[in-house]
Amino acid sequence: MKKGKNVMVVTISIVCFLLMMIVFMQFKVAKQTQETDIDTMQETELRQQLANWKTKYEETKEKTQEISNTLETYKKETSSDAKTKETLETELKTLEQALGKTDVEGEGLIISLREKKESELEENEYTTQIYANDLINIVNTLKDAGAEAISINDERIISTTDIVMVGDVDEEFNTLTIKINSKFIRTNEYEIKAIGNSSYLENSVFGKGGYITQIDGIVATAKKSNKVRINKYNGEIETKYIEEVN
Amino acid sequence: MIFIAITIGCILGALVGINIPTISYTYSSYLAIAIIAALDSVFGGISGTLKGEFDFKVFISGFFCNSILSILLTYLGNKLNVDIYLAAIVVFVGRMFLNLTIIRKYYIEKWSKKWEERKIKK
Repeated sequence: MKKGKNVMVVTISIVCFLLMMIVFMQFKVAKQTQETDIDTMQETELRQQLANWKTKYEETKEKTQEISNTLETYKKETSSDAKTKETLETELKTLEQALGKTDVEGEGLIISLREKKESELEENEYTTQIYANDLINIVNTLKDAGAEAISINDERIISTTDIVMVGDVDEEFNTLTIKINSKFIRTNEYEIKAIGNSSYLENSVFGKGGYITQIDGIVATAKKSNKVRINKYNGEIETKYIEEVN
Repeated sequence: MIFIAITIGCILGALVGINIPTISYTYSSYLAIAIIAALDSVFGGISGTLKGEFDFKVFISGFFCNSILSILLTYLGNKLNVDIYLAAIVVFVGRMFLNLTIIRKYYIEKWSKKWEERKIKK
């Protein structure tokens, strides 16, 4: 009986010992795992975690790349947007002005041309009509003198403007027909407006050796003005054959 | 005598458990299930003692077999990718509660008897 009791006591104490030992081991492990100690982990776990971190890292990297890309484009846009907009606008403005697509105003000269009447004729003079060549010469001279915008009877002279004589004299009105900007103008009186340095313009046309001094039978008057208004070209600017070459 | 043995065993176990190098986290789940099984055996032993049905061999074999079997089951579950240890825990904890009920009832009956006896004496 006593031997049996001793055995029982010993075994019970061994059982208690084992139980408490694994319980405390488990406590320790649980505590350490909460601190995620890398030493307590198995290789497979570590591998999995590594893979997880890798994928996470890759994802974040991709995201940062994406974000930085968009940021860069935004930066470019914001920095270039305002600038390019400004330059484009100014460019467009100057181009439109040069093309004659806008109404313009400025210092310039207004030249009025008309045929002399019979009563005004001097000796050795005879009536003449205003030909297209007269207009072309005057326009050319004005351009030479630095005219920035020119119009004949409110027809804006642009790069494609034609000034051509068409047909014979109109018997009814005794006028020639001149085509300007593909519009037929039948009149004996012309008004040429030009914007530029008014003195230069006037001297080039009316000065010594100027075109006006070379022709007879035409009354030409010039009027300097600080505010010459020239209307825009009303037609369409169409191109059919030209192609841009890079 | 037996209480001294239990206390000494517990203290020694705690000391060794604290100082022993820690095991890998993966094995800690096996250890946990073994603890549950062992605790179940202990409570079963206590209730058996109170009922007078305590068998030493049954107690010892239950203690070790339950622990080892639960560890094996958990291992198998890990391999099969099924959480078998949950079933083991349910069974062990359920039995623990049953045994606790038995222990509780026993002591309640004992104390209430004593109380009544005192009342009668007065």
